[in-house]
Amino acid sequence: MTQVLDPAPSLTDPGQRRPPRSRVPYLRTVGLYALTLWALVTLVFFLPRFMPGDPLRQLDDPDSGTFLHDPAERDRVAAYYGLDKPLVSQYRTYLSDLRKGDFGWSISQNQPVSTLLKKRLPWTLLLTGSALALSSMISYFAGVTAAWHRGRFADRALIVVLSATRAIPEYAMAAALLILFAVTYPVFPQAGAQRPFANYASPMDAVGDVLFHLALPLIALTVGLAANKFLIVRNTVISTLGEDYMVLARAKGLSRRLLKYRHSGRNALLPFVTALGIQAGFAVGGSLFVETIFNYPGMGTLVERAVSARDYPLLQGCFILLAVVVLIANLAVELTYSKLDPRVRRRR
Amino acid sequence: MTATTVIRAPIPRSGPPTRQTHVAGIIGGLIIGFYFVLLLFGSRLAPFRATELAGSSLVAPGGANRLGTNLLGQDILSQLILGARASLLVAVLAGVGTVLLGGIVGVAAGWFPGWFDGVLMRVTDLVLVVPKLPLLLLVGALTGGSVLGLSVVISLLFWPNAARILRSQVLSLRTRTHVRAATGFGAGTWHQMRRHILPDLALLSIAEFIPAAGRAVALQAGLAFLGVGDPTLPSWGGMIRDAVNFRAIFITSAWKWWLAPPVIALVGLIVGITLLGAAAERRLSPRLARHTR
Repeated sequence: MTQVLDPAPSLTDPGQRRPPRSRVPYLRTVGLYALTLWALVTLVFFLPRFMPGDPLRQLDDPDSGTFLHDPAERDRVAAYYGLDKPLVSQYRTYLSDLRKGDFGWSISQNQPVSTLLKKRLPWTLLLTGSALALSSMISYFAGVTAAWHRGRFADRALIVVLSATRAIPEYAMAAALLILFAVTYPVFPQAGAQRPFANYASPMDAVGDVLFHLALPLIALTVGLAANKFLIVRNTVISTLGEDYMVLARAKGLSRRLLKYRHSGRNALLPFVTALGIQAGFAVGGSLFVETIFNYPGMGTLVERAVSARDYPLLQGCFILLAVVVLIANLAVELTYSKLDPRVRRRR
Repeated sequence: MTATTVIRAPIPRSGPPTRQTHVAGIIGGLIIGFYFVLLLFGSRLAPFRATELAGSSLVAPGGANRLGTNLLGQDILSQLILGARASLLVAVLAGVGTVLLGGIVGVAAGWFPGWFDGVLMRVTDLVLVVPKLPLLLLVGALTGGSVLGLSVVISLLFWPNAARILRSQVLSLRTRTHVRAATGFGAGTWHQMRRHILPDLALLSIAEFIPAAGRAVALQAGLAFLGVGDPTLPSWGGMIRDAVNFRAIFITSAWKWWLAPPVIALVGLIVGITLLGAAAERRLSPRLARHTR
């Protein structure tokens, strides 16, 4: 979204008034996201309906094995699926079902889609959430360190290594990690999120087992995300190093740790957080691949199964849920901008 | 490290190509050239057809099947060579489509400021936050995932980056003296575009095309890996899918010749494109050298 950085409020002019705080920008942002969600949900509805073909054609076609002779029977089937109603009323039913959390019925698993989603989503949230958190920490510290030692060995090494890993797609990274640390050197489990038939003795045991299974998928997903944010942090931190407040902080005799992480690092936060928002989408996408490689019981394996079986209701449900997750993450990031940096104001 | 070195050390900026980026560009170009050889002469280089029964099941490398066979007895080397086709076709088509769409939106938004620009940029924002991979999967599963269809959908989802970059360039061009002088002489939009705007954007478009193509390669393979792809066209993503779906892949040592080669082929191509892209970006759009992807 368009963030406008106004010139920093002048310290020498205390009379300068800040624009009154208003709720309108927030409403605009929320509105834009609501619009996006609506557009996606509508797309999901109309896409299959504008495709060539008709779900009832098999029943109307005298040559097909499932041809229904009785026109009344055909009408009953159409009415059962609501396909006899006009498109607008179908659309209205679809929206009100979605609002109730009814995503339809999975063809391949013969269960309500919402039941399946409820079971799978927590694992994906665990994987993507921890990957985003871990990658943020790594990229922050690596970025500040590289900026501090810019042009020297540590900086160059970090740039080369992280740029190289950035080019590797998540599934390739996951496959490589699986081969290395689960097959050749079987340190970590090859698949799943818990050990089979787990009957945990203590909560500690359960947490340990989950983390043990999470390790490899987490690393596979984290590396790419960290590499991406690393360059952002590095470059922003470098741009702060010449600032007056850095000279002042240095002159005050602050410790290097304070200088690095408080004074220059914090000023790299805004672009960093922007990247974090964008990465929510990447992380969810990447987790689909990583989960499939490690057979992790999250949304990824569910999506893969839905695609293989061409189970459209399930696939649509997965898509809408993932879209909601990504949009909420993006919205949250945008709403924190002005908290992080009071200079951020919206134009108009 | 002393205070002065912290503050006085030169801040690296993007600039003219350095020796390193030059070498990186040449290496990247050579890698991509190699893959294009596979694309052009693949059908002659491959010893077997991709789906042909070329030996018994899971033959280890060596002998008639240089890289072994998969579970169905299909030749891995042939599949590997012929798989370049799907990746490169999507790379070129989706790359061109992305830049073209982004260019149309970006130039229009940059050239016609005001509400038109505002609307286009809102649409750009909207597309930017759409979760791309799930949507690609959904549309791909519905449409069948042909090379052309995938390229179109990828272009439709990934144009905002190019649009933003090109728009900002057009905005800057509008204020340059030669463009303003031409306006002063009564040059119309069409003339300005042909003589002043589009030629200036050509190099920048190439710098945008390369990463878009790399992304398309990764996406095509990823979608094929998840089951969205043309089943008649061999692809590296599809090979990875078949290998991972074979339950005993890691119990036997078949992963060495079945899973590893397509992963390596894929990463090789993406690294090649990335190297070329880094060199091109530095050379073609130094002022706009981006730090994000």
